[in-house]
Amino acid sequence: MYASKHVGLNVAMDPLMTASYTGVTAGFVIVVCDDPGMHSSQNEQDTRWVGLYSKMPVLEPSNPREAKEFVKEAFEISEKFDTPVILRMVTRVSHTKQDMDLGERIVPEQPPLEKNPAKYVMVPKLAYKKHILVEERLNKLREFAEKTSLNKVEMNDTKMGIITSSMAYSYVKEAYPKASILKLGFSYPFCDEKIRKFAKSVDELVVVEELDPFIETHIKAMGIEAKTKDPSFMIGELRPELIKPLINGEKKVEKENKDRPPRLCPGCPHFFSFNAMKKLDLFVAGDIGCYTLACLPPLQTLHTTVCMGAGVTFNEGLRKANPDAKIVGVVGDSTFVHSGVTGLINAVYNNAKGVIFILDNSITAMTGGQQNPATGMTIRNEKTKQLDLKALCLACGVDHVDVIDPVKENKEFEALVEKRVNQDALSVIIAKHPCKLIKNLG
Amino acid sequence: MSENKTYNIVFGGIGGQGVLKASEICGLAAMLAGYSVTKSEIHGMSQRGGSVESYVRFGSEIHSPLIPAGCAEYLVCFHEEEYPRLKPFLAEDGRDYVSYIEIAKKSIENPRTLNTFLVGVLSASLPIDVEFWMAALEQVFPEKIQELNKKVFLEGREVGTK
Repeated sequence: MYASKHVGLNVAMDPLMTASYTGVTAGFVIVVCDDPGMHSSQNEQDTRWVGLYSKMPVLEPSNPREAKEFVKEAFEISEKFDTPVILRMVTRVSHTKQDMDLGERIVPEQPPLEKNPAKYVMVPKLAYKKHILVEERLNKLREFAEKTSLNKVEMNDTKMGIITSSMAYSYVKEAYPKASILKLGFSYPFCDEKIRKFAKSVDELVVVEELDPFIETHIKAMGIEAKTKDPSFMIGELRPELIKPLINGEKKVEKENKDRPPRLCPGCPHFFSFNAMKKLDLFVAGDIGCYTLACLPPLQTLHTTVCMGAGVTFNEGLRKANPDAKIVGVVGDSTFVHSGVTGLINAVYNNAKGVIFILDNSITAMTGGQQNPATGMTIRNEKTKQLDLKALCLACGVDHVDVIDPVKENKEFEALVEKRVNQDALSVIIAKHPCKLIKNLG
Repeated sequence: MSENKTYNIVFGGIGGQGVLKASEICGLAAMLAGYSVTKSEIHGMSQRGGSVESYVRFGSEIHSPLIPAGCAEYLVCFHEEEYPRLKPFLAEDGRDYVSYIEIAKKSIENPRTLNTFLVGVLSASLPIDVEFWMAALEQVFPEKIQELNKKVFLEGREVGTK
C-alpha cells in the first residue's frame, strides 16, 4: 500500500504510470488524499484525473467507515484485475473520526519471488504487449463498474436524480434527504449503462462533485443532458450548505476568510534564522514546512513556495535570471533529505552560487513531528543510522558548509550569514536548533 | 440512548488551547455511550496559533461530518476573539457557552485545563452519563494528569448544571 496526499503523488508519478502496466503479484492500493479548500496544501489538484491518465481504477469513499471497507474492496479488485487501485480520499474523509466495527484481519499467503520479465521489465517491446493488456483490463473494469455495489442507486423521489461521489455524497444526503442518488464509489472507469439507466429514471439529472468536473465531463461526452455546477464551484471545498446554491446553478459567493492565520510558535528557532535574513533584505526562495509561515507578518521573509526542493533549485534559477540580486534559499532538514539534495548536486555541477540554509530543527515539525533520516530515529521512533547532513553537503562539493545554532549563537550566526551572502561561492548554512515542540512530541 | 435525534456541537478556538482534545473527549464519551459519532477537524495548523474548529455530531443517522451554518445546537468557544467567526454556526435556539470562558478562568488554577472545564460545562446538557465522560477522560489524558482533569471536569459540570 502506498499513501500520500495529492502533491505527494506528483513525486511518485514516474513509477506510478508504469506500475499501471506491470501490476503487482499481490494487491496494490494507492491511497491519495486531495485537499479541497487547501487547508494545508499548495494546490487543489483533483486526483481522479490520474485514474483516467494512468488507466487505473478509482474508488471514492464518502466517510471513514466506507474508507475502511473500500480498502478491502480495492485490494480484491487489484488482485482480480492485476492493477494498482487508487483509493481517492479528500481532507474531510481523512480528517474525520467515526465509530466503526473492525473485521477479522486476513493475512494472505506470501507468493514466491519469481523472475517474470514479460511482466516486470518494461523495455519498449515488452511494454507494448503490456499496453494491450492494460486496454483489455480497462474494458473488463468497465464491465465490473456496471455490476459492483460500490456504484449504488438510491431511488426515492424521481423528480430529481443526483449523480455524486466522495464527501459530496454526504453533503447531498444532508441537503436533499429525499432525492434519488447514484453514488459512484467506483468512479473510474465509469459505469455508462448504470448512468444512462439512472438518467432515464428521473425527470432532471444533476451532477454534484467537489473540485473538477470529472463526472460532468464524462456524462456530457456521453450525450446525456445534466444540470451541472457553475464553474465558480470548482474552487474551494464544498460544505452541506453550499449544495442547494450549487444545484440551483448559482455562482458561488466568495466569503472573506476571517480565520486567524497560523504563525511560528513562540521561541521557534526559525524565527532567529529568518530575522538574520530580514536584516540583510535578502530574496528568500522558500520550501514546504513550518518555515513557509515566514512569508506572513511579522517576518515576511520568504518569497517563493512551490514544491519540496524548490528552496534549493529556485536559488539557482533565480540567480541566472537576476545576477545582481541578493538571493538565498531555505529548506528544512526532512525536506532537504526528501528532495533538496538533488537540487544541491545540480547547483554544484552547474557552478551556481548562493547560500542554502538547511533549517535543521531535527524533526518533521509541520506534520506533527515525524522522524526522518537526519534524526537518527525511524518513523517508529526506534534508533537507526543517522544521516550526516554536513558530510552530505561537503560530498556534493559545496564550497562552505557551516553548522551553527541560530538561537544560542545568534550574534555569530548573523555575522556568518552576512559573510557567506557576500562571497562568490556556494555555501550551505545548517542552522541547527531543535524544534520547540520536540519534548512534547516524545 | 435517548430519542432519535442528532446532536451537533461546534468547538472552536486557537491552536494550543486544547480544542481538539475537548472534541476528542466529547466524541469518545458519546461513542462509549452507544451513539454513532463523527468528529471532524483540520490538523496541522492547530499547534501554530491559527484558528481551530472541530465538529462533533452524534445520534442515530449522520452523513456530513461538517455542521452547516446555523445548525449547531451547542457552540463551545474557547477564545473571545474567535467568537464572531464561530457565532454563525449556532442555531437560533442553540446553546452558547461563550460566557463560560470568564467563569472557567476564575475557577481553574491551571490555564491548560480550560478545555476540560468547558467540556464539563457542556456535559451537563448532553444525554451522556457521567461514567462515559470519566472513561473518555481516562483514554485521552496520561495517567499523571487524569485526576486533575476529572476534578476540573466535575467542577465545570456542576457549573453547567446550575
